[in-house]
Amino acid sequence: MSHYLARPRIQTAVKGLLLFGLALFLYSRLMNGTILFYINQNFVPYTMLAIVGLLIMAISYRPSERKAANEPAHAEPHGHDDGHSHATDTGTHEHSHDHSHALTVSGLLLLLLPMVLGVLVPPQPLGASAMANREVSMSLQTSSLPAAVQAAANKGASERNVLDWLQTFAGAQDPARDFAGQPVKVVGFVFRDKRFGAEQFMVARYVVSCCVADANMAGMVVRWPKAAALPADQWVEVHGVLEPGKLGSEQLPVLAAQSVTNVEVPSQPYLYP
Amino acid sequence: MLADPPHSAPAVEVSPTARTKTEQGRRWLRWSLLIGLSLLALASIFYDALTTGAGLTYLLQRGQTFVTIFLGIFIEAVPFLLAGSIVSGLIGVFVDQAWLDRFLPRQPLLGSLAGGCMGIIFPVCECGVVPVVRRLYGKGLPISTGIAFLLAAPAINPVAIFSTYMAFGFGPVFWGRIVFSFIIATSIAYIFSRAEPAEVLLPAVNASHHDACCAVHEPKPPGPTPPMNERMNQAMRLAGDDFFDMARYLIVGSLLAATAQTLIPQSLLLSVGQGPVISVLVLVVLAFVLSICSTVDAFLARAFATSFTTGSILSFLVFGPMVDIKSTIMFLGVFKRRTVGYLILLPLVLSILAGVWWNLNLFF
Repeated sequence: MSHYLARPRIQTAVKGLLLFGLALFLYSRLMNGTILFYINQNFVPYTMLAIVGLLIMAISYRPSERKAANEPAHAEPHGHDDGHSHATDTGTHEHSHDHSHALTVSGLLLLLLPMVLGVLVPPQPLGASAMANREVSMSLQTSSLPAAVQAAANKGASERNVLDWLQTFAGAQDPARDFAGQPVKVVGFVFRDKRFGAEQFMVARYVVSCCVADANMAGMVVRWPKAAALPADQWVEVHGVLEPGKLGSEQLPVLAAQSVTNVEVPSQPYLYP
Repeated sequence: MLADPPHSAPAVEVSPTARTKTEQGRRWLRWSLLIGLSLLALASIFYDALTTGAGLTYLLQRGQTFVTIFLGIFIEAVPFLLAGSIVSGLIGVFVDQAWLDRFLPRQPLLGSLAGGCMGIIFPVCECGVVPVVRRLYGKGLPISTGIAFLLAAPAINPVAIFSTYMAFGFGPVFWGRIVFSFIIATSIAYIFSRAEPAEVLLPAVNASHHDACCAVHEPKPPGPTPPMNERMNQAMRLAGDDFFDMARYLIVGSLLAATAQTLIPQSLLLSVGQGPVISVLVLVVLAFVLSICSTVDAFLARAFATSFTTGSILSFLVFGPMVDIKSTIMFLGVFKRRTVGYLILLPLVLSILAGVWWNLNLFF
């Protein structure tokens, strides 16, 4: 196999196909919307540009008569200690003997890995289990951007998502009491850790500024008598009002739920700061 | 696979008969590296289950998380790596080596400063800068200029500066990031200005190596330069080759970063972090492990701003763009291993010093 892969024309074809495959992979993620499980929405245009770029590159690997005619001269061994040094791109004048440009079998497998994993593992947004070694933020405090706090404050109470609420709390002197009685309608998934009581859970969202590697959880504590029956990771819509409450020893606004309904995973599962 | 796996035998002069053996050994090492990485990835998934005895669903969830983070880093980085590769391809075809020689100062200190200034001007992040620098080295760029550019560009390019402003305003963090990144990048570059290209670069990257062998095998084609569309095609092919070269390193880097993210408990790290020295160390480790894109790391740093010292935030923002798991692996495609070691250690030490110095200055 590696013998065949070493042939210049095969190399060129494989590289072109790889680029095309990667473009197709990204395009499929874009089309079914699962790209939003991986990166911030603001970066999607770059992915679109990348698809165009990959296709242009893929086309440049098309076989051409001129280059085919040049091949024998270029394909002669250069006397390097690298076994496949001659198996390289023939269209370039200065790098054509470069050792590292030839794809080996292991290199090919490695390059296929993202696509293979992407196809084999069904795409899913980060869930509660990803939180096992991450930081949960229930009070953003002064860490929020002033502009974001202002924007969140300008939204109506029913339009605010989990992050908006946390940012609103961040702008207040005594968040636990200042917002008591305000109506809340938020969507998120169920999360809990050791600090949560039997009638408590967190309605949580991941906040992603770039890609899921920088995901942090933002959530509101919910008081709900039947909380224990809710499995972790279940997406829910919570209606209720805010009341002063506690998580462990920490004072914070708690959402006293009037209804908790199961919902589908939203098409845009993460929030953006 | 990797041109230079971390544990292969040192490259000594070998007789022609021994060459195939070395080649076989290398191939074996590459495969074992690949398998080792997969095992490490699996270990990260099974780690908690082994220690807590959780069920199969939990394992699957961990695997899912690992794949999502890996693909997240990869998909996020592809456009930037691609942009860097295209710039590199265009440089390869259209930029003349003599032109570089004429415009870039050969004097070491000026060369380092020039590299740092290039970093401020060009909007490239840590994925895009590597293929560009690699190509420029092929064109005879001085080592120090390239290193200053490589280290400075991710932290203080226009996009990163803007996002830092968005997150922190014109405060001490904003100016500190620019000033420290520039100083650290140029001073490390200056240290390297005495080094010979052959000592620092991989043979395939080195320009003088090219001169020596290309002169024999591939004289410049006589006659008129080929038509524009053909040259563009050539540039795109060069870009494609660069993309593949670098994508391999990017994938290995993303795998390692996703493993680290699944394995290392961030909450534990963050709960340790107070005090002028400890906080700096914690955030520097975190910057290395997270491997997030330098154009947005300011927003993440903002989230740490309440619980961490200003000096530690500064170290995070200076060190993270220069070195993280992903970029370390990508450096291995340009530099010799020993140089990569220095390129991790020097920024590490200097960023820690800068952060600690800042903290103590404020506290006294």
